[in-house]
Amino acid sequence: MRTIQRYFKLWEILTVHSFISVLSSRLSAAIFLVGKMARFLLFSVFLWALFRKTESIAHYSLTEALFFYLTFNLIDTVTQLVFREVYRFRQLIVTGDFDLVLTKPMNALFRALAGGADPLDLFMLLPYVAALVVVARSLPAVDPVGVVLYIALLINAFVIASAFHIVVLALAILTTEVDHMVMMYRDLTNMGRLPVDIYREPLRSIITFVLPVGVMMTFPAKALMGFLTPGGIVLSLVIGAVSIAVSLRVWRFALGQYASASS
Amino acid sequence: MAEYMAYRLSFFLWRVRVNIQLLVTYFLWWAIFSGRTTLFGYSEGMMLTYVLLSSFVRPFVMGTRTQEVGVMINDGTLSNYLTKPLGFFRYIACRDAADKLLNAGCAVVEITLLVFLLRPEVFIQTNPIILVTSFLLLLLGMVLFFHFSLILSLLGFWTPDVWAPRFLTLVITEFFAGMLFPLDILPKPLYLLTTAMPFSYFIYVPLRVYLGAIPWQSVASAFLVGIVWVAVFRLAADTLWRRGLRVYTAEGR
Repeated sequence: MRTIQRYFKLWEILTVHSFISVLSSRLSAAIFLVGKMARFLLFSVFLWALFRKTESIAHYSLTEALFFYLTFNLIDTVTQLVFREVYRFRQLIVTGDFDLVLTKPMNALFRALAGGADPLDLFMLLPYVAALVVVARSLPAVDPVGVVLYIALLINAFVIASAFHIVVLALAILTTEVDHMVMMYRDLTNMGRLPVDIYREPLRSIITFVLPVGVMMTFPAKALMGFLTPGGIVLSLVIGAVSIAVSLRVWRFALGQYASASS
Repeated sequence: MAEYMAYRLSFFLWRVRVNIQLLVTYFLWWAIFSGRTTLFGYSEGMMLTYVLLSSFVRPFVMGTRTQEVGVMINDGTLSNYLTKPLGFFRYIACRDAADKLLNAGCAVVEITLLVFLLRPEVFIQTNPIILVTSFLLLLLGMVLFFHFSLILSLLGFWTPDVWAPRFLTLVITEFFAGMLFPLDILPKPLYLLTTAMPFSYFIYVPLRVYLGAIPWQSVASAFLVGIVWVAVFRLAADTLWRRGLRVYTAEGR
């Protein structure tokens, strides 16, 4: 318990420092924020344009599709908010500054993964959560059990996202390549902006079970709407547990290979 | 080429990313057409052709090295080029051309492979006049984007924050250039707004002409408006360059 408290305190300090650093250039931060907002709004316009001519896609209405898209944004934004430091990890490796992280009395994975939260994503969370609540209220048949399952599967989605990011860090140690890897993760998760049920087989199964984009991005919203079977819920929790266990093993292996070649 | 090959894994992963982006858009539209023959006046084959071609055209038009100019200004390495007996814009244009050639070469191989694997119903334009016209519009879009991206980088003379405006314009460009979808699926007022902007020349206009869906009168006016945009952007780039050099202090050197 004391360890958790200590790490929470550390995360708080690192986050405050990161926020100060990002907000030191207010104009730049404001432009990035407008860009993120524009990206969200423009894809919403695309969705709206799409549903003008089609009443439903794979039996999902515009409201339901919008809820899937908002859930995707919530997961994506929280992930970026917490794991922004992953995007800067390559620099630590190629300059050899990772040595300084290893010598500190702090878990190196914690520092590499969560050592620099992004305040802009925190600002973006507010409209997303507000929009989610508004859209969820207009969904038919939402019950308390669905809400509990939605929150549980959101947490599971963050666990899977953490696993992805840990693997990216491990690969960065092994190959010094992180930029494209993490962007590949984001490109793939973009498939979850809409419910994965709309995709045809075998793609649907691949992005649900092999690359668990569907489990991450689509299953929480499906659980809320009552479209997910108990088997699907158990399966997604198993995928979450297995992916985090595997990613931690990969990380430990990669750390063993770190040669501090640049320092 | 040698520069790229120095970081082979990085280059390979970049190409993988490009193909993932293509497949994400392709499968999205493939899914939307499930159980439908036409949508927004497009058949499935026409829409998938548009998506595949937009992925092919994108690196050709929007693949650029001009973003490096902003960094050069901010870290002072621009001075190295100013002391050399070469036109800076011409030098950057040559780097851009090499970059486009490499990316376009890779795209030809990859898309051929994808067409072979996915076997989509692709629309092949056989009218040589339409083919030449769409190619010329593509060149126009390329020149336009080069200057547009250069202008964003030249802001580096006045601010160290060159990435934020680039990110914002990338988001706007991705939508209004028609990368994800043909712009004419938008409601009429929004569509008219997109055609009034220069971004539609990057991808949508050349591809729409390729698909043979624009009357010749509109093609002529597209050329005219496109050339005016190029002239405006060139003038803006020249002005920013001249004024920027007056305030350039080679900071960082």
